Amino acid sequence: MADVAPPVGILKQISLIAGLRWRMLHNNLRRKQNRLDLLGLVILGLLASAFVMGLCFALFEGARNFVSSGRPTWLSLFFWAIFLWWQLFPIIVAGFGASFEFRGMLRFPLSFGAFYTIGLAYGLADFTGLAAVCWTISIILGAAAAYLALLPAMLLVGALFILFNVALERLLGSWMERLLARRSTRELFFAAFIFLMLALQLVGPLLNRYGNSAEPWLVRTLPYFAYFPASLAGKGVGAAAAGNYGEFAIAVAGIVSYAVFFGGLLWLRFAAQYRGEELSETPAPEKAIRNKARRESEADALGSLSPQVAAVIRKEIRYLLRNGFAALLLFLPPILVFALITQTTVLRFSGAKTSMSADLFFPGLVAYIILILMAPAYNTFAYENTGVQTYFTAPLQFRNVLLGKNFVQVALVATELTLCIAAFCYRVGVPSPPIFAATLAAIIFTLVGQLSIANWSSLSFPRKLAFGQIHGQRQSGMAVLVAFGAQILLFGISSLVLGLGRWTGDRWLPAKAFALLAGAAVGGYVASLDALTSYAEKKKEKLIEALCR
Amino acid sequence: MTDLAIVTEKLTRRFGALTAVDNVDLRVTAGQFFGFLGPNGAGKSTTIKMLTGLLAPTSGRMQLLGLDFSSHTIEVKRQIGVVPEGMGLFERLTGAEYLHFVGRMYGLDHATTLRRTGELLEFMQLADRPKSMIADYSHGMQKKLALAAAVIHGPRILFLDEPFEGVDALAAGALKALLGRMTARGVTIFLTSHVLEIVERLCSHVGIIHQGRLVAQGSIEELRAGIAGEEGSKTTLEQIFLSIVGQSGAERAQIEELSWLT
Repeated sequence: MADVAPPVGILKQISLIAGLRWRMLHNNLRRKQNRLDLLGLVILGLLASAFVMGLCFALFEGARNFVSSGRPTWLSLFFWAIFLWWQLFPIIVAGFGASFEFRGMLRFPLSFGAFYTIGLAYGLADFTGLAAVCWTISIILGAAAAYLALLPAMLLVGALFILFNVALERLLGSWMERLLARRSTRELFFAAFIFLMLALQLVGPLLNRYGNSAEPWLVRTLPYFAYFPASLAGKGVGAAAAGNYGEFAIAVAGIVSYAVFFGGLLWLRFAAQYRGEELSETPAPEKAIRNKARRESEADALGSLSPQVAAVIRKEIRYLLRNGFAALLLFLPPILVFALITQTTVLRFSGAKTSMSADLFFPGLVAYIILILMAPAYNTFAYENTGVQTYFTAPLQFRNVLLGKNFVQVALVATELTLCIAAFCYRVGVPSPPIFAATLAAIIFTLVGQLSIANWSSLSFPRKLAFGQIHGQRQSGMAVLVAFGAQILLFGISSLVLGLGRWTGDRWLPAKAFALLAGAAVGGYVASLDALTSYAEKKKEKLIEALCR
Repeated sequence: MTDLAIVTEKLTRRFGALTAVDNVDLRVTAGQFFGFLGPNGAGKSTTIKMLTGLLAPTSGRMQLLGLDFSSHTIEVKRQIGVVPEGMGLFERLTGAEYLHFVGRMYGLDHATTLRRTGELLEFMQLADRPKSMIADYSHGMQKKLALAAAVIHGPRILFLDEPFEGVDALAAGALKALLGRMTARGVTIFLTSHVLEIVERLCSHVGIIHQGRLVAQGSIEELRAGIAGEEGSKTTLEQIFLSIVGQSGAERAQIEELSWLT
């Protein structure tokens, strides 16, 4: 009989996996593409570090001030800010923790304890988690700098607060992934989202009508927030500072209860994954299929386009609608815009002077939508997988693939922009004609200008992303850097043009300048298609290798 | 003169210091069922990738259906079908959607694509799961779908990279039936496979590549004639393959060394 190795302990298993990840990173760096990717990540990391460090200093100083001025319970505000960051930011940027390949790990005799510990630890290994931990440490140090005896209490509260947050963030990510993996729940989820979006429109009028009478009610609800972990953390620190250890123990027990509760729920989720849960599509309802079958047999709605471009457009739309999280992200910008518009309207209705005029707000709104929605275009082949080979075995010019993809991208941005602009004009007001015309021309300039760069970036720095998954969706470092650079460049030019209009006093100058720039961008885009077709031929091996791995 | 479907001249592909395909001169006649054999890492997939436009050769020429590949890329691609390594499927489409997509990519009109999609799904016995994503198909179903996609435009040459890998007997039967029909209609089939029994049963001609070099090429009978078998017994393709490629003494010794396995 073959020798059977004895069971391996949790720590040994964790160290083996850490070693495996390190070896994978080390080996990855042998490739030039991956070295560039790392370089991009390092540059982005430096920029992100500046942001995190800046807030670290602010929180350190703030915590020191609160404690030294005898207001330690005010630290709750900081804990609330960190809590909201930790739980909301991953949704906005589509990244719930670093990648942990659950199914891949299950072929090894990995104990559930090790599996759970690694899964939880990975929640600390992404930007959101790292930043939140750094800020929590800054608060601890700031409080300790003001009153050293508070350090042990701060360390305990800080550690428990981190544990609670990481458990909740992993749990939310895991639930979202499960929810969006199935068509039926995804459709329900999106329906709820649309209702939410519509409901946001009612917030303004409701507040306007009932705002004054609701205020006392809102004030009465505030004490209930004291039972949430962020408030408990601040309360605990305050109690420790006052030497009231009974109250401190109660606050700590409260945070522990939250951590245990969410950690327990996460345990159940991970247990399902450990048992081999497979998130997959379920069949669509029969009715939908029948309708679809009928539609397929009708005349081709995209018949005026070349068959290849039409095929790519259809495929892109299907992929977009089936990729739960990507589709969800598309809904977020208009929701935020509607929320912002509602807020502005409230201010206006309540008699307060709006902080932004329509002429200033309007270009900003458009820039925000383009900024968010254009980001995926910089790695447009991310979800193609082995299917990317079809583009090179089929008898087509690669420009047709790019055209199809760009068409969907532009249609999407145009639809969302139209909705947001209509809502803006209805609720806030129509901007002046020169600004309106300039912004429309600027849309063409920044959109088309970005498309050329994004196509190049997609071919140069492709990175495979897991379809419909939330965990571990790290983009190519260089692609992110290129996107960042392109957006700074194009929006910088746009700001310059708008500034020039103000400086010269010629209100129509920006519109004329943007019209010229838009013409140049369109010309550049058309010219780039042929160049990119040749470029794709040169880059096809790297593209296929990156996406088929 | 016999029509040649595939001709390569000194086809070479290097990856840095490694020469994966080394001066390969292939000749495949139109209508042949050609098996391209070789041990792992011999250069089979690299060759097929070059012949289908997925990989650029470092040097050498390729001519398909009388057309130079580098100067008539689109015309050549229009006439070939491919089941590439990893199958090249878009897994988040349904089978029908994928076939429709591929048909249109090959320039078929909407109505023809729809008709052929239905026929192929029926033939491959995939029509009973119209709602399923390809990601939810079994491996054998995915192979059948990949083959359906490769033939939807009626290619004159079909390239298949390991079409029977991981496929059960039932699915393999459907694949073989389709391939049989195609050769009967004059389509040239170029396939790589590790399963020598299948190659022996299906292919009329074979090429054997070893360490990047084409070491044998011809009909199975021609190769058999070149190998001295036991008197009275018919030499199998496996015997031919092993005698040409051979298992080294060092490899055999290593296997004997793994005493802890028993």
